[in-house]
Amino acid sequence: MFDFKVLLESIIEIATVVPKTLVLAIFILLLSLLMGAIIALIQQYKVPVFSQIIKVLQSFLRGTPNVVLLYLMYYALPGILTFFAGILRIEFDANSLNPIVTVILTFSISYSVFQSEIIRGSILSIEKGQIEAAQSLGFSFWQTFRRVIIPQALVAAFPDILNSLLVIIKALSLAYLISVVDILGQAKMVGALSYRYLEAFVGAALIYWLIGVILTFISNRFELKLRHGFH
Amino acid sequence: MLAIRDLHLSFNGNEILKGIDLTVNKGDVVTLIGPSGTGKTTLLRCINCLENPSKGEITLSDLQLNYETISKKDILKLRRKTAMVFQQFNLFKNKTVLENVMEAQIIVQGKKKEEAYKKSIEELEKVGLLDKLESYPSELSGGQQQRVSIARALALEPELILFDEPTSSLDPELVGEVLRVIENVARSGVTIVLVTHEMSFAQSISTKIVFMDKGVIVEEGSPQFIFEDSNNERTKAFLNHFKSNQTVGV
Ligand SMILES: Nc1ncnc2c1ncn2[C@@H]1O[C@H](COP(=O)(O)OP(=O)(O)OP(=O)(O)O)[C@@H](O)[C@H]1O
Ligand SMILES: [Mg+2]
Repeated sequence: MFDFKVLLESIIEIATVVPKTLVLAIFILLLSLLMGAIIALIQQYKVPVFSQIIKVLQSFLRGTPNVVLLYLMYYALPGILTFFAGILRIEFDANSLNPIVTVILTFSISYSVFQSEIIRGSILSIEKGQIEAAQSLGFSFWQTFRRVIIPQALVAAFPDILNSLLVIIKALSLAYLISVVDILGQAKMVGALSYRYLEAFVGAALIYWLIGVILTFISNRFELKLRHGFH
Repeated sequence: MLAIRDLHLSFNGNEILKGIDLTVNKGDVVTLIGPSGTGKTTLLRCINCLENPSKGEITLSDLQLNYETISKKDILKLRRKTAMVFQQFNLFKNKTVLENVMEAQIIVQGKKKEEAYKKSIEELEKVGLLDKLESYPSELSGGQQQRVSIARALALEPELILFDEPTSSLDPELVGEVLRVIENVARSGVTIVLVTHEMSFAQSISTKIVFMDKGVIVEEGSPQFIFEDSNNERTKAFLNHFKSNQTVGV
């Protein structure tokens, strides 16, 4: 029989890792945005070599499941880091590598190519006329970028960025595979301890759902506020 | 104060401007007229370095520049002496009317906020928009938006102001309010280069009319000369075409 009391207890247990999961997801989001911005720039200016590398990376990431990437990084990263540490003559113990670092790097890289699309799209959505107006008023390139392009691009990209936060939170459910405990990982442990897996997973599902609802709510509110007056 | 010499510009191998020479004196109102696709807009955009001419020189008061060797710094200097009013207004959509007018004063000219505010109020009063300070562009009519964009340009006290068909994307009933504002700008002594299809307005406001066709200046002269006395076949044909479907002036 489904036990609501166990469900409640499971939810409370699982909820303890929600802050950690959120912080992790936000960190990955910011890092992937930063990398995405760099990728967008490289593509915009067609930087030789780098833009070709990114093309290959893009098609690789598009075709490869996150699980595979995660395992790949888990087994390859210590070697890669040891190699670079060797070049730079830095002491580095591959066994000390925290799997959280692997999770952060894997997902940041994985989502950076998608973020670059969001960033490019939002910048392209700004009318050329406004940019020309700024230029004709004497704004420098950076002033135009900072004062005209960025504020409007952020508003245009905001719903997509928040959506990708949700995607990252869900993708983090794979992190337990390399022993980083997130919402799903915690649910598995709670289930294993109580022998009530169904209640634990229902609890996890409800928590994911709630986070999704809250993010959507924030997204809608902010969109209204940010867009106030224009569009 | 403005002199352009032998200006050439091509888009993908098509020569659009084929050697333009143009002189504008301080306080002049020079109006460019001519058929669609002739290069009037392109010429204005060259004065503001929004286009990249392949050849030519421009002198604007103490600045003397060659388009082939022009640097980013020179471009900024040139742009800071001029201002442009666009057909599509091009206001900053995420900013209020007041912010639109204040922005460049603060960012480009480094003015203090209070100072920029005072100047903005002054200019917005001249264009009759004091009651719209906190409105966003999307909340304004086309005519109101264009008046804001004129205030935004004037607030920088440019030596030269460029108007590219400022009334062409307006509903007919809104054209008059914008033309009146431009008329006041002209009266205040600011030097103007204007592109318009409002012929009677051009005739009444201009000190000089420049007739362009197919990338060259065909002829130029006083409004009286161009509109009444010209013997040039192309000028006459163009103006006749206009007389037969005259648009509303002031
Ligand atoms: N960015 C561009 N790339 C390619 N061709 C262009 C570009 N801008 C303008 N042209 C071409 O240059 C020519 C001159 O255009 P321009 O806009 O200067 O004409 P105009 O005299 O202002 O015409 P209108 O009265 O219709 O505004 C046109 O043939 C136009 O198609
Ligand atoms: Mg034009």
